[in-house]
Amino acid sequence: MLRYLLSKLPSVLLVLVATSIIAFVLPRLAPGDPASTIAGPDATPEQIGEVRARLGLDQPALAQYFTWLFGVFRGDLGMSYIFNRPVTELIGARIGSTVELALLAAILLIIIGLGLGILGGSVRSRGGRVAVDSVNTLLIAIPAFLVGLLLIVLLGVVWPVLPVSGELSLFENPSLGIQYLILPALALGLSQAPSVARLLQTTMLTTRGEDFVDLAVAKGASPTRVTFRHVFRTSLGASVVAIGLRIGDLFGGAVIVEAIFARNGLGQLAVQAVNMRDYQLLQVLIMGVVLIAVISQLLTEIALSALDPRVRLDA
Amino acid sequence: MSDQRHQTGNVTVPSTNTLRTIERRERGLALNATAKRYLGALRTGRGLTGLIFLLALVALALLAPVLFPGGYDQQSAQSFAAPSAAHLFGTDELGRDLLVRTLYGLRTDFSIIVVAVPISMILGTALGLVGALSRTASAVIQRLLDIILGFPGVILGICIVMIIGPGWLALVTAIAIGGLPVFGRQARAALLEQNTREYVTAARTLGVDKKTVLVRHILPNAIDPILVNGALFVVAAIFIEAGLSIIGLGIQPPEPSLGSLLNVGMRFIESAPMYILGPTLVLILLSMAFSLLSDALNDSVNRK
Repeated sequence: MLRYLLSKLPSVLLVLVATSIIAFVLPRLAPGDPASTIAGPDATPEQIGEVRARLGLDQPALAQYFTWLFGVFRGDLGMSYIFNRPVTELIGARIGSTVELALLAAILLIIIGLGLGILGGSVRSRGGRVAVDSVNTLLIAIPAFLVGLLLIVLLGVVWPVLPVSGELSLFENPSLGIQYLILPALALGLSQAPSVARLLQTTMLTTRGEDFVDLAVAKGASPTRVTFRHVFRTSLGASVVAIGLRIGDLFGGAVIVEAIFARNGLGQLAVQAVNMRDYQLLQVLIMGVVLIAVISQLLTEIALSALDPRVRLDA
Repeated sequence: MSDQRHQTGNVTVPSTNTLRTIERRERGLALNATAKRYLGALRTGRGLTGLIFLLALVALALLAPVLFPGGYDQQSAQSFAAPSAAHLFGTDELGRDLLVRTLYGLRTDFSIIVVAVPISMILGTALGLVGALSRTASAVIQRLLDIILGFPGVILGICIVMIIGPGWLALVTAIAIGGLPVFGRQARAALLEQNTREYVTAARTLGVDKKTVLVRHILPNAIDPILVNGALFVVAAIFIEAGLSIIGLGIQPPEPSLGSLLNVGMRFIESAPMYILGPTLVLILLSMAFSLLSDALNDSVNRK
């Protein structure tokens, strides 16, 4: 297992280093200059130059990159030009909201995805199968933000039972906080669930045809036991991968869902940073998202190799 | 022919001409089989539904300027009208007909898909297949694709919007780049799978050079999964357009796209919830059409 992990290490490091460079370079390729934004529309070139010097933007790009990178290792993510506050503080203030959303969404994704998958993989009647397939097909065609908008119309406007805009921290007020959280999380989880469900369904249907399942049936195992103990367990591997790959997407989707539900999370912060050309903030946010995606991919591969030794041996 | 070969005593070698005829016939048959698989996909319930949805939407998008020669900016007296016979999807904040705007928005979405997806498909597949020619190039490309894969679609979009500014070009670029790992990995997987097949070994043994084996033999056999993924990626492309436009980083209102209409509709969602009806419906039908087609194609290709 350790050897397998070590064999993955160079590729992961490479991706992270490359991402740090991309995260650093991309915002700087953008037209517009934070110094002139900060100095204001009436600033003289001297004043703009002064701001540039103060922000360190007059340094060579390579020097700026290493200053930033060493800062990151010391836990100093730099100062946001626009908000004029440490990036750590800005992110710290918003990260809770996004993590709450992504976590609940991930839980819903797993429950709904596996639930639909087991249903699809074990329902025998034709009508039942068509029903599950139709639900999956429909859900796959509706992206998270659309599920969100439809939920807002349905449960916020037509039959107003839940708050549709704003937020409240779960820690401050759990019972009210969850009400604000449930719709955006449902939107995110529901839209990602069918891809997991369909994969599980396909694997379960294939597994059901294997000899050991026939043996279990012949030995008199109950249908429930056959489904869960024999078919579901051995079919789980591919779904674990699918779930892992979705986790990175959850954070991407969260950016849009936050905008729709007016939640003040990292997504909103990212959109503001793009509009205001806040390099320091953006490079950290980009880096963070990619880091999460890479780590979840890696964890997925580890989980998979624990489930199925053939993966380890292949590498 | 068989009795020709098994004449007692001597072995008749079929003439070059006979071989050519056989090869030609086999190719014809192979083409028929391919056509049959794809047409077979369209004959299933899913495939047919997808095809009908898609054709209807394409027809509406193409005919929009003919059906509504006034364009998408014509205002009427009543803003935020509910859906009615006169305005099937209602009207927007300036009294413009939302059906017309949705159809013109659909045109924008089609124009993005038609450009971005094929570019991504061709470039991605080419990148994936390069692995057959050079080991180093393959390693570099795979790492590159890993990096792109690390960026969730919307985040990649945000990065590109930052550089070239929001609009059509940024969306096309974001979608084209975002699809590279999808097609690159798919092509590579297909390549690895085909590489061990006997016909490839046979071609190599006969001294056919690497490039020809790749283009003439492997690529045609790897085309099925690429098409299945292509149709599925269109769904992702639609979501990227709409997603970026919704947060204001895609197509900018008042120019209509499915996403930019949702962007404006979202602001009025509590006072005029019917505003988003049109774009929502069309977006769901459009992505459903492609996901159904992809499903049907996948089933029919794997049943061969």
